[in-house]
Amino acid sequence: MPRLLHTADWQIGACFGQFEPDEAVLLAEARFTAIERLAALATEHRVDLVVVAGDVFDAQGVADKTIHRLFHALRGHPGPWVLIPGNHDAGLAESVWTRAVRLQAIPDNVHVCLKPEPLLLEALGVAILPAPLTQRHTHADLTEWFADAATPAGMVRVGLAHGCVQGILADDIDSANPIAAGRAGQARLDYLALGDWHGTRRIDDRAWYSGTPETDRFKANDSGQALLVELAGPGAPAVVTPLATGRYRWRSLTPTLQVASDIDQTLADLARLGPADVVKLVPTGQTDLAGYHRLRAAIGQTRGRVRGLQADLSALRLEPTDDDLDALRADGYLGEVITGLRDRQRAGADDAEAVLARDALALLAGILDERRARTAT
Amino acid sequence: MKLTRIRVEQFRQFRQPLEITGLDPGLNLFTGANEAGKSTLVAAIRAAFFERHRSGSVDDLRPWGDAGASPGVELDFTIDGVAHRLAKRFLNRKRCTLQAGPSTLDGAEAEDHLAALLGFQHAGKGASKAEHWGIPGLLWIQQGGAQELREPVGHATDHLRAALNTSLGEVVSTGGDEVLARVETLRGELLTAATGKPRGAYQQALEQQAALERELDALDAEIAAYRDQVDRLATLRRDHAADQAEQPWIAFRQQERAAAERLEDIRQLESTLRADRQRAEQLAGQIRLLRDQLDAFASEQQAVASRGAALELARRTSQTQDALVAQWQARAGEASQRYDAARAALRLARQETTRRDLARQLDELRRKQAATTDRLDRAGAERTTLIALERLLAETAIDPADLDTLRTRHDALRELRIRRDAVATRLRFTLSAGGRIEIGGESVTGDGDRLLTEATRVTLPGLGQLDITPGGGDLAELRRKEQALADEHAALLQRLGLASLEAAEARQQSHARHQAEARTATATLQALAPGGIDALRAEQAGHAARARDIEQALAALPAAPDATADPPTVSQAEAAEETARQSLEQTNQRLNQARLAAGNAQATLESATRERAAAQAVLDAPDRAARLAAANQALVDARAEQDTLSARIEAQNQRIAEANPDILRQDVERFRKSAEQLERQHAERRDQLMRLEVELQTTGARGLEERRAELARDLEQTRRRSDELRRRAQALDYLLGLLRDQRATLTRELQAPLQRHLNRYLRLLFPHASLEIDENLSPGPLTRPGGNGAETGLFEELSFGAREQMGVISRLAYADLLKEAGRPTLIILDDALVHSDETRLAQMKRLLFDAARRHQILLFTCHPANWRDLGVPARSLESLRATTATAG
Repeated sequence: MPRLLHTADWQIGACFGQFEPDEAVLLAEARFTAIERLAALATEHRVDLVVVAGDVFDAQGVADKTIHRLFHALRGHPGPWVLIPGNHDAGLAESVWTRAVRLQAIPDNVHVCLKPEPLLLEALGVAILPAPLTQRHTHADLTEWFADAATPAGMVRVGLAHGCVQGILADDIDSANPIAAGRAGQARLDYLALGDWHGTRRIDDRAWYSGTPETDRFKANDSGQALLVELAGPGAPAVVTPLATGRYRWRSLTPTLQVASDIDQTLADLARLGPADVVKLVPTGQTDLAGYHRLRAAIGQTRGRVRGLQADLSALRLEPTDDDLDALRADGYLGEVITGLRDRQRAGADDAEAVLARDALALLAGILDERRARTAT
Repeated sequence: MKLTRIRVEQFRQFRQPLEITGLDPGLNLFTGANEAGKSTLVAAIRAAFFERHRSGSVDDLRPWGDAGASPGVELDFTIDGVAHRLAKRFLNRKRCTLQAGPSTLDGAEAEDHLAALLGFQHAGKGASKAEHWGIPGLLWIQQGGAQELREPVGHATDHLRAALNTSLGEVVSTGGDEVLARVETLRGELLTAATGKPRGAYQQALEQQAALERELDALDAEIAAYRDQVDRLATLRRDHAADQAEQPWIAFRQQERAAAERLEDIRQLESTLRADRQRAEQLAGQIRLLRDQLDAFASEQQAVASRGAALELARRTSQTQDALVAQWQARAGEASQRYDAARAALRLARQETTRRDLARQLDELRRKQAATTDRLDRAGAERTTLIALERLLAETAIDPADLDTLRTRHDALRELRIRRDAVATRLRFTLSAGGRIEIGGESVTGDGDRLLTEATRVTLPGLGQLDITPGGGDLAELRRKEQALADEHAALLQRLGLASLEAAEARQQSHARHQAEARTATATLQALAPGGIDALRAEQAGHAARARDIEQALAALPAAPDATADPPTVSQAEAAEETARQSLEQTNQRLNQARLAAGNAQATLESATRERAAAQAVLDAPDRAARLAAANQALVDARAEQDTLSARIEAQNQRIAEANPDILRQDVERFRKSAEQLERQHAERRDQLMRLEVELQTTGARGLEERRAELARDLEQTRRRSDELRRRAQALDYLLGLLRDQRATLTRELQAPLQRHLNRYLRLLFPHASLEIDENLSPGPLTRPGGNGAETGLFEELSFGAREQMGVISRLAYADLLKEAGRPTLIILDDALVHSDETRLAQMKRLLFDAARRHQILLFTCHPANWRDLGVPARSLESLRATTATAG
């Protein structure tokens, strides 16, 4: 009764340019630590086997050091580890895998399946049917051969593939690296471990996408997990349990601000965020200057707490109130300028001048605020 | 603001208190000599306001040498009807109180209150300086400072604005300029001021972005190349494996060998063919030789016949030529005779012509001889005449100087005699008939008179003697002179051989006549014989000699022929001679040609004779027939062998053509090359694979894509930053523009009332002039009508006097503006307008009088006379001091 841990899409070597440099470095680093946690988890759950369904590396041309680090991160579990290449790290004539071999980086307990042929793990009674990508993109179904592949009787048949299950995840039939729906049943697989989709996803009783163990984008739902798969024996149903592996929660906040309490709500949402959060904040609507300053202040504070924060206030309109102007002591022609900017912002909706007016207004408010603070002291 | 009382004590030169009361709400005129304390009084007012009472930097307020003094100023004034009293003491007993209506303020509080009220600042540290003085600094003109305007206005601008804001409602921003400056600074950090180009951090971000983009592009290209290489590696490996399995070059090698064997067979056949062909060629050569031999025999026969014909022809030609020679010889003889006759005729013609010429010359000569003889005779006669004349001339010659001397002396003598006669004693006598007396030895009768010039004895016969001595002292002298002169005259006449002057005159005239005659004779002689008579004679001799020569030549000529026919002229004879000569030459030429041709024909004939004999000799050789027969037999044999050989060659050629050896050779080449090609390709691919693998391994180890991901990350961050900075720069730029526009609009609004007030004064001082006001409310260029239309000049370019006047009226305008805004005003003029001329000063007084209706003005002067017509009493500081001293 083999127990296996199914994972995929490690994307080792990915960078996160949309964040500030220090944040980006930490997020890249988190991908290695996620693998170390996976190994620990595998040991903790006493799994017999770890299968990795492609995209181990984010690119072919990663540094030698990165290759060594990755395989070193696996040392927390004795294996065996079975890996296949995905579209990011396809098993080309010369690939990250051939380099890993040359570098003698791959430990004995790690099997990298570069050819579509069964891997028999007799000690475990498991036959792995891999569908490695040997081109960057293919429009042929590489799992086609699974059905005809004979495996010794009594061995559990586990398929390992990277691609897009047809008709379920994508409407586009012509999408690259297709996998026929119902392949697990058709090829008499006890389990089909899938990769490519970054969120955990069940296709049918015997086919699952594990998702990436560490979330790397805002839109991936249910990511940051691995699957613990228990197979009672050939033909027996697979028992699949998702295990949390991710460290960071990626959240996208898009509040629409209309009244003062909306700001309060957003501020409260931001206040709840902690060091495990990676956040994107894109507020829309409008706010007065006071609200704007509160929001800016809150963003600054939040940036100090969370792992990463992207804030885009360009869609937020500034509506200074008379109180704002009083508070800023924006009398005389300054007041005139502010009113002019506000009107231009309103009139232009989304055009360039409206954006310019908004930016100018925010700047002016900032300068006035600075000045007020200085005079106050 | 109206000052009503001033009290000063222990203040510089006011060691004793000085108090001035009852100040007028309008004009107040203070007079005083230098050092009287006018400026000290002004300084006291200034110190009361500007200096902190606690200031430690006001030692100069103390009377000189009085370290214990506490300078004090007390001012009473009203603002908006509220009475104020400011009492201030400095240094030793620092104190400040301000009574404002019912309330009392102390110390710094009082000072700050006043500063806000009047619009100035206190120095943060040390003594108060011009930049702190604000509005009072502008309105209180210090001695010699009226012409300085820009700086005081600059220091007062903010206060003026603040004051004016009130009057304009809340239009002006309290901190607008500060914000504007801040926006400008912030913009300046990102954009250049002049062109708005990125600078600083913005520029750096853009440059960094561009650099990263370039790097990324380069890396992308490298990665694409790397990927292509990976794909090539896969293709190469597949092809290599297929080749290795098939080894397609082996089949080609076998085909090559088969073709090569067939080619070898054909080569042997070709070798036989080559031998046969060689033999055939030899035979053909032999046949050719035999034919030549037979042809030679035939041509020998031919030669005898043709030589015979040639001989005959040569003989005939020779005869013809000889005949021609004879013909031409006869003609040459005739031509020679004709030529000789023509030459004789020419000789005769020339001789007769000569004869005629000589006869004519002889006649001419004889005529000339006769003329010359005649001229010679006449010239001889003329010369004889001339010689006679010349002798006469020599005889009658008289020196003109001598003649002049004669004339002069003659005249002098005559004059002397006249004078002597005048002086002489006239002795008149009338004698009786027959009576005779002797006068000086002369016996006289009748009557007459005598002039007695010397003692003369008159002998009266019978009577005695009278000795008369003429009177007059110089008679003797005259006589002696006359005597001397008469002697000299006589001597000269003697030397000249003449009797008298008249004779000399006659001789001179005769000489002149002879001279004229001699000139005539000379001219005649010159005409007859220009070269002289000898030359004429030589000419005549020459003529004679020439005539002799011609006569001899004529005699030498042969006798003339019979004059029956006219002899031909020389030119006719010459033409005839030339024709005959040419005819002779041509005939001779033809004769020579004919002789040459005849010689040639003879030579040809001889050579033809020799050749025919030689040909005949060959034909007559003894073994000729045998050799001819042998040659004919050999030719028949050779032809038979040639036929046989030709058939064999034909058969061999056909066999070779059927085998097509060229194509066979190409087959061998083609199969060999194909095999080689495949083998080489296989080897090359193996090498290529090896190279590619090594290359890919090297490149792969560089971690290109990870590097690219990092670069892309950096680029995205940089782009984000430059984008933010761009937005910020644009927003700042935009904001700056808006603020400036708004401020400019506002400034214009602020300038308007000031302009109004200023124009009011300006019109009085400079009619039709206008003054612009700049953004800082300072007077700008002044425009006024000039000789050439409107003239515009900067304030600074005006004369000192005009600047001073402008300075004062500008300040009055500011005061009006402040007054309108409800601000306190006080104007102090310390010895101002000293550089104004009378007319301008009069205008300024009108202005000041007018302004004093709205503002209190304190005017200090050391020229009381200039201000007498100001309409207010002058207060003399000296008397004020005296009064106060008494009162105190």
